[in-house]
Amino acid sequence: MPARHPIRGDVLALQPEASARFWRLYDQLWAHGVLDHGIKEVARLRNARITDCGY
Amino acid sequence: MSWLPATGAGATPLDRVFGLRPDLYEPFRAFYAVFWTERLVDPVVLELCRLRVARLLGCESEQQVRYAPALDAGLTEEQIARLPDWPRDPSFTGAQRAALAFAEQFVLDPHGIDDDCRDAVIDHLELAGLVALCEALALFDGFCRFRTILGVEAAGGVQTVPGPAAAMSLV
Repeated sequence: MPARHPIRGDVLALQPEASARFWRLYDQLWAHGVLDHGIKEVARLRNARITDCGY
Repeated sequence: MSWLPATGAGATPLDRVFGLRPDLYEPFRAFYAVFWTERLVDPVVLELCRLRVARLLGCESEQQVRYAPALDAGLTEEQIARLPDWPRDPSFTGAQRAALAFAEQFVLDPHGIDDDCRDAVIDHLELAGLVALCEALALFDGFCRFRTILGVEAAGGVQTVPGPAAAMSLV
């Protein structure tokens, strides 16, 4: 059984229309664009560290 | 004008900056609009929180925008002018106060949002409303920073525009 995505499956599911539109934006951000994945991932992790977000 | 050496096409300052990445601007507008088109949060509460976040982050271009659904629902310029004093101003409703307290802490330090602060929002907006408010605040916070860093110019005065929709420009 595939792992359940903790954000997609639980919290955001309370607002399904907003969730669908968020994931369309987020997927576009990650799957396309001019920045390579390494830069995006480093920025994401650094932002999480600064804001002390364990997820 | 933005400090950017080149901008995209568009009718508004935000159009011209975000228009450099139309593949992102289109899904962004669709996401942004949903809070108004689907009324996920009361439009007055949403507008007060948006303007409060913009004020806390010193984002002039965002502070000059007024979305018509909030004005149509009763928000006035007088109340907007009193927004910095909302904790001492009895004209703000319980829902507005709960959301504004949450919004301020969201910007300043999200770890400082305690159970009472969170539960007050749930009492007024329900759990789904709390989730919607968090998503909206993330947009407001992030895109005030976006506007500030990329130099999206202010309109030069308060500007009332229709509620955001996926197919329209954002001011």
